[in-house]
Amino acid sequence: MKCSIIIDKNKDEEVLIYSRENSPTVRRIKEFAESADTELKGYDDGEIVKLALPDVFCFIVEDNKIYAICEKKRYRLKQRMYQLTEMLPESFVKVNQSCIVNVEKISRFEATLGASLNVILKNGYKDYVSRRCMKDVKERLSL
Amino acid sequence: MKKYVIEFLKRGMAFAGFGPVVAGVVYLVLSYSIEDFTLSGLQVFVAIISTYLLAFIQAGASIFNQIESFSVPKSMACHLSFIYVAYVGCYLLNSWIPFNWLAILIFTGIFLVTYLVIWFVVYFSVKATSKNFNKGLI
Repeated sequence: MKCSIIIDKNKDEEVLIYSRENSPTVRRIKEFAESADTELKGYDDGEIVKLALPDVFCFIVEDNKIYAICEKKRYRLKQRMYQLTEMLPESFVKVNQSCIVNVEKISRFEATLGASLNVILKNGYKDYVSRRCMKDVKERLSL
Repeated sequence: MKKYVIEFLKRGMAFAGFGPVVAGVVYLVLSYSIEDFTLSGLQVFVAIISTYLLAFIQAGASIFNQIESFSVPKSMACHLSFIYVAYVGCYLLNSWIPFNWLAILIFTGIFLVTYLVIWFVVYFSVKATSKNFNKGLI
């Protein structure tokens, strides 16, 4: 796919895609562009860090607290899970009741000997895919 | 560990009600197929409570597969033993198998074979899903 960047300080920033079809690649570029500017505030030992959505691998609930897991660190968030679910772009999908993963950060899926399905992210984080969420994951992967 | 206990209880509570429903259906079929089939009030009470507990344990025990600190053999052993004890207890309480070692041994054999068959079917179905999902990542 050809890619051009036009620098024009007088125009609003916009990503325009010319494509023959609405392919998964096009959808991923769209989702990335839409979420690139969305930032969340993450808390780490009293320090506040701005988190860009494309850098977040997943969101998890632990002891009723929400965490954003990035490549090497995790940050506490103030949002509730339902608020995140509403604001997240389509590149994020719920894999179980306490985990939402960034599809772009998925390394692979793996069947365990316990006959459950795990999702493994590119940073090594692992969580299970609940049966209830399988349909959504399948749709999000355009299968 | 606390979160797994809570999850065990949640899953158990969500599906426990199916136990008495299944027992009810089995008794209904038996009442149509066996002449003079009767149950006492105590038998019905025991069947309802025991099948409720059986379904509770069976549903809750699925959490063992998700405990990260457990190795696969350990989680499978916990799952299998929990379910086995629940089934044997339920069957003996309801006199669905007689209380003698030979009957329990035969029941154990059938239980293990059924468990393995179900495990194979579920495992290969999950493996196929995983393969399919991985294609979507390419």
